This record gives sequence, C-alpha cells and structure tokens, in this order.
Amino acid sequence: MDETVAEFIKRTILKIPISEMMTVLKAWNFLPENQLQTINFRQRKESVIQHLLLLCEEKCASINDAALLDIVCTQVHRHKKIWDVFRMSKEPGDDVDLFDMNQFKSSFKKVLQRALKNVTVSFRETEENEVWIRVAWGTHYTKPQQYKPTYVVYYPQTPYVFTSSRLTRNITLLGQALTIASKHHEIVKMDLRSRYLDSLKAIAFQQYNQVFEIHNSTLPLQERRLALDSRIIHENRVEKERVQRITQESFGDYPQPQLEFAQYKLETKFKSDVNGGILAERKEPLRCLIKFSSPHLLDALKSLAPAGIADAPLSPLLTCIPKKKMNYFKIRDK
Amino acid sequence: MDSYDAPELTLRQSAFSRPEGICATPLQKRLESVRKQTSSVPTPPRRRIPQCPQVQEDVDPQKVAFLLHKQWTLYSLTPLYKFSYTNLKEYSRLLSAFIVAEKQKGLAVEVGEDLNIKVIFSILLGVKGTQRDPEAFLIQILSKSQFPSENREGKVLWTGWFCCVFGDNLLETVLEDFTCLPLFLANGSESNTAIIRTWFQKTFDCYFSPLAINAFNLSWMAAMWTACKMDHYVAATEFLWSVPCNPQSLNISYAIHPEDAKALWDSVHKTPGEVTQEEVDLFMDCLGSHFHRHFKIHLSATRLVCVSTSVASAHTDGKIKILCHKYLIGVLAYLTELAIFQIE
Repeated sequence: MDETVAEFIKRTILKIPISEMMTVLKAWNFLPENQLQTINFRQRKESVIQHLLLLCEEKCASINDAALLDIVCTQVHRHKKIWDVFRMSKEPGDDVDLFDMNQFKSSFKKVLQRALKNVTVSFRETEENEVWIRVAWGTHYTKPQQYKPTYVVYYPQTPYVFTSSRLTRNITLLGQALTIASKHHEIVKMDLRSRYLDSLKAIAFQQYNQVFEIHNSTLPLQERRLALDSRIIHENRVEKERVQRITQESFGDYPQPQLEFAQYKLETKFKSDVNGGILAERKEPLRCLIKFSSPHLLDALKSLAPAGIADAPLSPLLTCIPKKKMNYFKIRDK
Repeated sequence: MDSYDAPELTLRQSAFSRPEGICATPLQKRLESVRKQTSSVPTPPRRRIPQCPQVQEDVDPQKVAFLLHKQWTLYSLTPLYKFSYTNLKEYSRLLSAFIVAEKQKGLAVEVGEDLNIKVIFSILLGVKGTQRDPEAFLIQILSKSQFPSENREGKVLWTGWFCCVFGDNLLETVLEDFTCLPLFLANGSESNTAIIRTWFQKTFDCYFSPLAINAFNLSWMAAMWTACKMDHYVAATEFLWSVPCNPQSLNISYAIHPEDAKALWDSVHKTPGEVTQEEVDLFMDCLGSHFHRHFKIHLSATRLVCVSTSVASAHTDGKIKILCHKYLIGVLAYLTELAIFQIE
C-alpha cells in the first residue's frame, strides 16, 4: 500500500468518532464483515486505527478505495460543508435522452482528465437516485491534492447539481464536465447556499410543501388554544387570528426546510412618510447589507408576526425564499 | 447647594478607616446629587461630539497604537485606596509573586501554562481628558524569554489598563488617599483577569464590576461615532440585533455603507458641536423605518447587541474595540462616564 494512501486513510479514519466507525466501515464495504468483527473498538483510537491500517494493507487498498471512504464520511457529516446549488439547462428543442450512468461517469472523468491530466475522480451511487462525485484536483505537473477535494451531488434526470463550495479555480472546468457528461447546454449558479443539503434538495425540487392534509384545517390552531379556558378573555382575539391565518398562508402548514441564513444587498432610496424631509434631496440610494441568521431561519421568521415583532403579512422578500429557491438577494429600486 | 458641610468631619475620620460599602463616601454623595439633578430637571442630555482632544500633544500615536484593534473587556472600578504612581516597580514585583502563587495553588492552572512570567506596570501618558484626570497606567504580563541571553521581551500574555477620561466633571470631591480610575480594560485570558482583580481588590480595597452596555448607550455610541469626521472609512457602520423569538434564535446584521450612514446623520443633525437625544432617536428611527419598509419587521421590538463603525465597535457584554487613533480619547470619555454611573 502506497505511503500516501496509508496516510490519507489514517487521516480520514481519525476524523470519524468511534461511535460511528462501524457504520461508516460497513457502508464503505471494502473490508469484509468478518474482519470488522475482529476489531476491538473499545481500545484507544490510535490502536483501532493501527489495526484498520493493517487490514487495509493486507487488502492492498488503493487511492480509489480511500477516496470512497472519504465520500462515505462526507455523506455522514454533510452538514460540515456549505453547499452551493447549480442549475443546468438544455437548448430548447433538445431531445430528452435516456440517462446512462456509465456513459455519464466515463464522459465526466474524460473531460477532467483531458484538461488536468492528474485528477482523482470517484463516484458513489445511493438508492435515492443520486450520485456523489468526489474530485481531487491536480495539474499537469502535480499530483492530486487529496485533502481539498470537491464534492458534487447530482440527481440524474433533474437539472440540479449541489457542490461543496470550496471551488475557486476549477469551477468552469467542473461546470463543463457536468454539462457535457449530462448532455446539457449550460450551467448557472443559483443564489442559494446552505449547510443543509437535504433542505436544499427539498427547495430545489419543491418537495417541502407536500404534507398530508389530515388534520382539521377549518379551525385555526390559535383558536383551538384560545378556546381552552373560557375564563380567560383574550385581547385582540380577532387580530391574533388574522395574523395566525396570514402566517399560515405565507408559510404553509408543513415543516419548513432548514436554512441557516439569508442575505440581502439593498440599494434603495430612503423614503419615510413619518420622518419627512430626511434625505429628501438625496438621489443616491442607501447601500445596505442585511443578513438574517438562525439555526432554523424559516421557523424563526414564521414566529415573528405571531410574536408581534413583525407585521402580517411578512414581507415577500422573506416569504419567497423557498418558492424562489434563493437566499441571496440583490434589491434595487424599480 | 453645598451638601458637604456635614460630612466634612466624618470625611476625615473615614480617611483613616477602610471605607465599607455601608457608609456613604463623599464620592457616593456626589453621584447621588448628580443623579437627583438629572432626574428632576427634564432637559434631554447633550453630549459633545468627540473632537480631537486638548491634550493630544501628549498622546504619542505610536505608544497608544497597541491599544487599537484589540478587543477589550470593560469593568468599572471604585477608587483605589493609597495607590501611588511612585511605587509601580514594587507593585510589579508583588503582583508577579501573587500570580505565580495563585497559579501554583492550582486554582487557575491551564495545562502547559508557563509560570515563568514577568509583570510590568507602566504609565500611559496622555490617555486622559483634562490635566486633572489621574494618569492612566498599564499592566502587562509577559512570558519570560526562554533564552536569557536574548534581550527581547517575552510574549505578551495579558494586558490591562486603567484610565479616567474627563472624569473630574463627575468626581469633584476626591479624598487625598484615593485615586479614581473608574475604567478598566482587559485583554487576555479570563483566569489572568480574575487574578489581577483579586490582587487589586486586596491591595487597594477597590471593587471591579463588569460594565455591560445597554441598547440605549449603544445607540448613542453609534450616533456619536457616525458623526465623527473621518478622512477615510475602514469599515461599514454595522448593527447587530438579537430577536427574542421562540424556539429558534434569530440574529439580524444590518450594515450600511459608512458614507450613506454619514449622509443620514448629517440630514438628522441640527445642532453643531452637540449630539442630542432627539437626534439619536431620529437616527435610529430612520434606520428602523428603512428596514421596516423592506422586511415589515420592527427592529424596536428586538434587542440591539452590537454596534460597529470605523471609529470603534462595542458589544452589549461590555466589549470594545477602538479602531481610530484620532477619537481614542472621545471613546474613552464616554466609557468613563458609563463606568462612573455604574459605581455605586
């Protein structure tokens, strides 16, 4: 086993918590089950790693095997990366070809290898009709850098691609490889980014709003709560119900996809009826950058109007996030 | 009104006994009267816009450069009893010994911590408002160089400084044996800060209190610092709001181009040389209404947690970072005022 391969496997395994190791190694499917049973996971981590390296050595693990292990680890800890979303498009009038996975893989690899000569490309398909691609970038003269790979998640038959955003130099090349291999014409970066890959998927495929309408939707939730104790008289009951209803309409009754921020670049003039005269003569807009951040942004925004912190309806700039598939906005006066 | 006649005698008596929190010192009485005055007379407070200070000749920009671009944790400090500027070398020695002793006790030991340290007390010239302000002084904990042949000073592990900028307006009656440096700023590990505080409290019978900055004062700072004339801006004017929504927290960062912030301020500002409460309120209202126009969210219902400008940035937890040498004294003057009002 090559020294660099051994080092790479060692560093990859080091990042896995002991509690997850068995799951990851099983998913990797490189070392057979009976061999995995011989490992004592209760000993010190260094000893576990040593044992694993020995087994990998015996089986002559290659760089491709190591790369697959890296993919499995990343799949388990996908939240540790920030994902960008790209959308591909076909020329109008293009035939809808049948997707051939093998042809896609070989074509993708060929484009990168022709351009860079040294590149490690690995694929891992999952049952959910998605393919994970790992690319370690090299050049004509240097070996691939295994510790700064790019991950791509592609859903064949859809135009969407998700990439771990570490890309700077090779982004155009990656775009070319994807469009050529998947027989698309163009690829465009969307203004959508998050750690939560599954939420990005839900937004891209507009799958977040599919909820079974079993519950009694005629009686709003608020009213049900309010009706609990007849001795309590609620002020502004009508207003509260209105707010609740409008919030429900804007956000829906389903769980919101999870995003951690939204960013707005504003270039709009200052206008205020109340503070009349302020900046009245100024032609230039105010240049602002506003960033909302939260462990679960859409849930937090949904709670603002009922809490009295925001008006209902909430601004469409905020409620449009999942519908428009964007969390980066540039707003200018019309 | 002279409220100091009666306590004059008790003044002399208490000078020889260590003051406890129970009996009112003249400083406390003075603060009381100031507070009563401001609360009974409803004139809105006005403050000077920080101009270049009169004592600027003494402030060597190079000497105070290390105070800039660092985050300082703020404390208010009651007057020091029998502190002497001529004893700084002695204090260095005593504090050094104390730190080593505390760390060897195992109370505040971090793994691999270097006990080979040196403490230096030094005067910070020019860091004051008027000549009547006591001199500011600085304490640094350095790790001694591993190779004694090297003449270089070791790495700075912790820095703290004490100052009083334009404090004499509110600290008129000060007893002879007391030195009033109400503002303390620390940079470095919390354990070191705690040890320094303990030593000072034991040695000079004073009391440190963390200086939090509420939203009201953060707004004042944002307005005053936006008002400062700058040759060039190094940072946007930025506000951070924390929204009290359940169960998820939400933070809103609102950054505005510094030229646009200044334009907004200039449009709001009416009285030259002064900043008034109405102007601060109007400035913040305008920012809030611009935000509301776009997002329908009322920033006034949220909590202002941090403000940041090219002059300085401040956090509600009592943290400050000063970015501009020109307005160092102005920033310290405002913080001194906050510190004094916190001392009871």
